[in-house]
Amino acid sequence: MTADPSSSETSARERYPWLNSFLDGWAIFKQSLLGQIGLTLLIIFALMAICSYIPPLINPMYNPMTGVDPDISTCTPPSWRHWLGTDFMGRDIFSQLLAGARIAFMVGVSAAVMSVVLGTAIGMTAGYMGKFMDTLLMRMADMIMVMPTLLFVLIISSVFGQLNIWTIVIIIALFRWPGVSRMIRGQTLSLKHRPFIEAAKMAGAGHFRIIFRHIMPNVLPLAFLFMTFRVTSAIIIEASLAFLGFGDPGTVSWGMMLQWVWKTGYMFKAPYWLLPPGICISLITLSFYMLGRAMDEVLDPRLRKEDQTD
Amino acid sequence: MALLEVDNLSIGYRTKQGYLKAVEGVSFTLDEGQSLGFVGESGCGKTTIGMALMGLMPPNGSVGQGRILFEGQDLLEMTEAQRRETRWSQIAMIFQAAMNAMNPVQRVGDQIAEAILVHNPAVEKEAALHQVEELFDLVGIPRDRLRGYPHQYSGGMKQRAIIAMALACKPKLIIADEPTTALDVIVQDQILTEIKELQKEFNIGVIFISHDISIVADMCQDIAVMYAGQMVEYGPREAVFDSPVHPYTKALLSSFPTITGEKNDLIPIPGETPNLIHPPSGCRFGERCPGVSLTCSQAPKWIQMGPGHKALCCHC
Amino acid sequence: MELRKYILRRLAQITVIFFVILTVLFLLFRLAPGDPVSRMVDPDMTPEDSERLIVQLGLDKPLGVQYLIYLKNFFKGQFGYSFHYGEPVVDIIWARLPNTVLLFTTGIILSALVGIFLGKIASWYKGKKTDSIMTVGALVTHTLFLPWLALILIWIFAYKFSWFPINGMISEEVWLDPDNGFITKALDVLYHMVLPLSTLFLIHFGAYLLIMRSAMLETLKEDYILTARAKGLDEKMIRNKHAAPNAALPVVTSVGLSLAFSINGGALTETVFTWPGIGRELVFSVSQNDYPLAQASFLLIAIVVLLANLVVDVLYAYLDPRIRY
Repeated sequence: MTADPSSSETSARERYPWLNSFLDGWAIFKQSLLGQIGLTLLIIFALMAICSYIPPLINPMYNPMTGVDPDISTCTPPSWRHWLGTDFMGRDIFSQLLAGARIAFMVGVSAAVMSVVLGTAIGMTAGYMGKFMDTLLMRMADMIMVMPTLLFVLIISSVFGQLNIWTIVIIIALFRWPGVSRMIRGQTLSLKHRPFIEAAKMAGAGHFRIIFRHIMPNVLPLAFLFMTFRVTSAIIIEASLAFLGFGDPGTVSWGMMLQWVWKTGYMFKAPYWLLPPGICISLITLSFYMLGRAMDEVLDPRLRKEDQTD
Repeated sequence: MALLEVDNLSIGYRTKQGYLKAVEGVSFTLDEGQSLGFVGESGCGKTTIGMALMGLMPPNGSVGQGRILFEGQDLLEMTEAQRRETRWSQIAMIFQAAMNAMNPVQRVGDQIAEAILVHNPAVEKEAALHQVEELFDLVGIPRDRLRGYPHQYSGGMKQRAIIAMALACKPKLIIADEPTTALDVIVQDQILTEIKELQKEFNIGVIFISHDISIVADMCQDIAVMYAGQMVEYGPREAVFDSPVHPYTKALLSSFPTITGEKNDLIPIPGETPNLIHPPSGCRFGERCPGVSLTCSQAPKWIQMGPGHKALCCHC
Repeated sequence: MELRKYILRRLAQITVIFFVILTVLFLLFRLAPGDPVSRMVDPDMTPEDSERLIVQLGLDKPLGVQYLIYLKNFFKGQFGYSFHYGEPVVDIIWARLPNTVLLFTTGIILSALVGIFLGKIASWYKGKKTDSIMTVGALVTHTLFLPWLALILIWIFAYKFSWFPINGMISEEVWLDPDNGFITKALDVLYHMVLPLSTLFLIHFGAYLLIMRSAMLETLKEDYILTARAKGLDEKMIRNKHAAPNAALPVVTSVGLSLAFSINGGALTETVFTWPGIGRELVFSVSQNDYPLAQASFLLIAIVVLLANLVVDVLYAYLDPRIRY
């Protein structure tokens, strides 16, 4: 790579080495068909989420939760007034769908971020401390990984009553950290014996300082990239909970919509109500999965389409 | 008739950057029961020749030109089905034991028996395993290891098993590709001795591929020195080893320490191997040759140095 | 012999995990806000029965003693009485267990076998149309929302076409008829099982297909495949005898890792199809605030998941001699 002083891109690459790897990764990502489709879908859903604020502003009857159409109070098929029709209470299904997108992103991203933070902290501690701490934490991780998250949340809700959406997100995060921590622990272990860590130790750096100033910056980007696209399980768990009737009654999620169409007996009569939420959940899962696969190709060079040379 | 006669063989690979000429214009002969060693650094094309002889080129590799005459028949003219029949039963290969050369979930005895059964479908499994036991005796593996798995074998034992597998169908030619590289010297010595004995006992032709010229000189009657896809020197071992002609051969010899002989400094060879997608038009070793001159920018010719001893050089 | 030691070691680990779960559940139910007694004793019971149950469950004793009694009761199979059914909890969940095992294991095994088989074929035809169709198909079905798929299947096949029953595991008439033998009854169950099984199958087989496919492609790059080719084996033999047995290993691992996810799916399936299994019982009991039943259902599911994990681990050890020896 020749350094052409007149090229702004090359000088930017030199000044910020991480930018270099980012741009290289982007080039690979752009080639991946899966990545393109996934990203496109995700952008559509993001737009949906942003637009979810608009319908109630146009007319309060479009409010997904409390909207009441003065003329309609039952389930009706799509019309110009209600693009996807209305549910059993006369509420607009389309604005419910948009609100659901917002909830899906919120749940997915929050749970992912929380589990990444938690998993990184635990993984780094386990890898760095080693011995007893490591064994203890990893055993805990094993135990949690075995448990079916959905059913455990059910039990918790049986004891504590109707759960708030944030509580659900936190519990989901508490069940997802083991996956992150395993990977982070592996990274930490390989970094632990690198010369720059030894140097820091000899310079008198305490354990915390080493972990947070030296290990974490090297470990965190990977953690975020790896886990952010594993967001889907959080979305599915929330949707399943809402579907079963244990979601937050104040939030309109796609799972909640399915619960309503199922429990109010319109399942067979209102495809315009049954199909959209399910399609959305499935598509958002698909798009995150595709993005995740494309990210894998960027992160792990072996997965890229290579030529064979000898 | 020679067992193996290779005539002007050229092999290349299609890569993203272009067509890589891995082997160019290589010719040699091998008689029954004789051994020929190919020596050179990684990427010189010696393994590629071995693969081409077996017919195991990867999908992006192809033979550009040349003939491979095995007992008079051109292997390159054969159909895939015919080649499959000759594979192992006529020409077998000894791989590096360090490679994952054996199926980790299959018993070693069964894997070797498989070689027998594929080429002799009439044979019963029991009989095949019995043959494997005899092979184990030959190579020095205790019979009770027959039902073991590869991960239970030591490095030396794995190599012996691979040798036993190569002998399973009593081939006429064996290609040994770096068979002792990953072993420690004591085991290495044992294995090499065993190979030599087996070769004599069964009159098998051996092509020995290695980067270690001292091993090749020990094992083979003839030596072929490879550089950048071309054969640069060829001849009986005494000639090549004792009076090397090509500068590369000389450099190779002096980069290996010897116990006897003068105490010289080891001379590393400076520079890098040429790009084989766009090789230089003249002598490929020219850039690194200590005796390079203007004549070296032309294509080098074969110079006959003695009976059967020749070198590819412009000014030697 | 190594295999036996391995199994025993895993059993010990599972037992430890189970005790942790047991303890967590204990603490959850006894320490959560609210009156623990009302969670264990049916408010509709007569005062004498209530008293007897309270003593039996040790709800009037200090926490430490309660825990010991709790453990003792667990081993005796004494889980209290269901508020909703009015029967001993243990009878109820014991009756539900076979139904869940039937549906769940059939679903997992079927989707694993088909997924592995198709994944092998997909790797065969990599890059061609067959592969693309299978990969896309696996991707799409795998990401469908399970309850929604279940509803769609019911809507199309049970409601619109009436090919299959809408819910339940058995038709009362068939089972109550004294003339009907075992085969007829079994067929009836199968008839009811088609849709729930299809749901589980469609959701799960895709993952196994994709993993087997990539495992095959990875395995085909290994050195021993070159050896097999050198020995003169044809492509079909190489794929079936050398590549597939090695490629199956990561698939088995992934079955184990996804068991928790699968059992979630099992519970959802049972609920939508009103299949009388423990999963559905758990959901139902939680919605009815039937605490004793909920707790016991959860514990039983935990045991099922742990044992399933053990089975998968043993299977893996059986398939991979490097673990056994």
